[in-house]
Amino acid sequence: MAAESIVRVANLHKTFRRGSELIQVLIDLSLEVPEGEFLALMGPSGSGKTTLLNLIAGLDSPTDGTIEVGADIISRMSEAQLAKWRTRHVGFVFQFYHLLPVLTAYENVELPLLLLPMSSSERRKQVLTALDLVSLTDRLSHRPGQLSGGQQQRVGIARAIVTDPTLIVADEPTGDLDSRSAEEILNLLVELKNGLQKTIIMVTHDPRAAVRAERVLHLDKGRLVREAFHGTAGFNDPNHPAHRDGIAQPAGLQGTQDTGIRTEGGGPV
Amino acid sequence: MQKLDDLLLALLENPLNVVFVGVLLLVVVLCVAYFQQFLFILKNLSRNLVRSIMVSIAVMLLVVVITLVWTVTAALDQVTQEKSKDFKAIATERFQIPSQMPFSYERELSEGAVRRPGDVTPQDSMSWSFYGGTIDKEHLTRENIVFFFCMEPKKLLRMENDKPISMMDDIDQLSTTDLYLLEKACEEMEKDPRKVVIGVTRLEALKKRVGETIRISSLNYRGIDLDLEIIGSFPKGRYGQSAVMNRRYLNNALDAYNRDADKTGTPHHPLSDKSLNLMWLRVPDTKSFSQLAEQIEGSDAEGHQRPSPFAAPAVKLETASSGIAAFLDGYRDLLWAVSYLLVPSILATMALVLACAISIGVRERRTEMAVLKVLGFGPNHIMSLILGEALLIGVVSGLVSSALTYAIFNWGFGGVNFPIAFFPTFLVPGDALRWGVTVGAVTSFIGSVIPAWTARSVKVSEVFAKVA
Repeated sequence: MAAESIVRVANLHKTFRRGSELIQVLIDLSLEVPEGEFLALMGPSGSGKTTLLNLIAGLDSPTDGTIEVGADIISRMSEAQLAKWRTRHVGFVFQFYHLLPVLTAYENVELPLLLLPMSSSERRKQVLTALDLVSLTDRLSHRPGQLSGGQQQRVGIARAIVTDPTLIVADEPTGDLDSRSAEEILNLLVELKNGLQKTIIMVTHDPRAAVRAERVLHLDKGRLVREAFHGTAGFNDPNHPAHRDGIAQPAGLQGTQDTGIRTEGGGPV
Repeated sequence: MQKLDDLLLALLENPLNVVFVGVLLLVVVLCVAYFQQFLFILKNLSRNLVRSIMVSIAVMLLVVVITLVWTVTAALDQVTQEKSKDFKAIATERFQIPSQMPFSYERELSEGAVRRPGDVTPQDSMSWSFYGGTIDKEHLTRENIVFFFCMEPKKLLRMENDKPISMMDDIDQLSTTDLYLLEKACEEMEKDPRKVVIGVTRLEALKKRVGETIRISSLNYRGIDLDLEIIGSFPKGRYGQSAVMNRRYLNNALDAYNRDADKTGTPHHPLSDKSLNLMWLRVPDTKSFSQLAEQIEGSDAEGHQRPSPFAAPAVKLETASSGIAAFLDGYRDLLWAVSYLLVPSILATMALVLACAISIGVRERRTEMAVLKVLGFGPNHIMSLILGEALLIGVVSGLVSSALTYAIFNWGFGGVNFPIAFFPTFLVPGDALRWGVTVGAVTSFIGSVIPAWTARSVKVSEVFAKVA
């Protein structure tokens, strides 16, 4: 039996204004993400993948359409409500880690918990668990400047999971790392998905990162244009055309399926 | 310890201060309750320690200036504020400044010029004759001049049922030891009019000590030079520059001068009939004051003619506050400018300095604000973090600055040396701690509202759209 969808996006539109010009970043986009799925969003720069990620994470509000995460319709929430919602439901992993330089690794991970009604001993327990999961219990009192890029990203992941969120979103989490550190981070994300059944949505340009996901969605010019599933032919090959940021779908592409995602024209991708 | 006790007592005397201490305690409790957030604010301030320290120093310097200005203006406000009960009135010459009345007026004034049944008698009185001179007439300098209030020693201080009674303001606020020493000195002055009490600050300037004798060559009573023995001192502070002499000594000297003049056929001393400068009369309430004024000035509120016993020169009676206000009239423009131009300018400068520093900090940390928002910090959380940083700098700097101003000026310099009218120095009041914190808090709040609002309004998607 297929897992129930935890993220449901319907008829999503997002428009930005640049001076007098209106830029349509997302156009009538719909998708569902089942609970416990590791989903990768790919696409060329400006395709709208980060905007989609921000909208699903409640960092921005859509121009039109609805976004449901779990039982919450976040597209109707105010900024303050979204902030409160994010504390409990979303863990965010950044490309450039964005740890606060004045805080130690421990304090950085503890930061989101300060917003929750918890005793300091409960906080400590949760922070240590999160740091243990990313194997950084020996770097508790180190500041970001004293950690390598990979270690900083692991702290970032610990910070994202410390509140035990419904959803983990990652915006190019390996984009600033060397290949070895990137591999470690991807392993960690897969472990989180497999071990803790976390739902992960990751934006990436890197086909090697994308192949670690269960499903890859390709966006272009604000629309979903292609979908690939793990286990299908060619999916595990980063060089396979399925993982390229191509615009047009090559005819007869292996590893892609019609999953019912509809584009503006109404046809299957 | 005694000084600290005095400070605490002075603080708690004013209900506003009690409220202030309550608010301060509440803030401390909140800081403990939200210790992690407080720590976060502290760490944010420490990230650019040099800037935080510079801002703090700027606030501290401005708080010092405001505290000093308010010390003077608040004290002057207080003495010129009309009281409704138990206040002092000043009798002076009506048509001339400086007032120079015949000493023969003293007795009748002290009794309120009582003529009819039902007339009001003052509760207490004190005469002042001003005698100024130098201990080195050949080399006259500011340092070797001393100015005496010639008065009855018992009006300076006497003890009744272990309670200090004085016609001089704030004498009863002296420490127990100082009160005891002053009371003994007054008893000695009563017995021997040559004995005088001089404030320690003036003694330091004169390079004299208690126990020494001095010869004063008078500057206003020409030809009346007096030999005096210093038997006591006023502590630093309000009376640190003052000196008190038994009026009997001056009067005796004038009498002796006139006797010699009679023998030689030369004129009497020009000030012999002008030696009473001021009379202080204590009255229980405003009604008594009005009636006393009629008795002394000779006017009648109901239109009935009542002759004044004081015709040449005529005398007027004012409340002490309006009397002092009249003395301060010459400084009115200066005080207005200080209160309404200088102080607001300083406050605005403080707010701008803070606004500038906090704005730079917010701009530098725009991405960080966005990260905090991503982590779940709401717009108001972000705003309160920025306001908290500004308030912490403002309040701590204000508190430290006003406390240092209090300690350094009161305990180190014996008050703010700003001679105006007959106030040589002004003690920084305990209220200054409240002023410092309030000024720091209000200006930092005003200065940080716009930067905090900017931080609150940071759009996460915009910040990361540029970063990524």
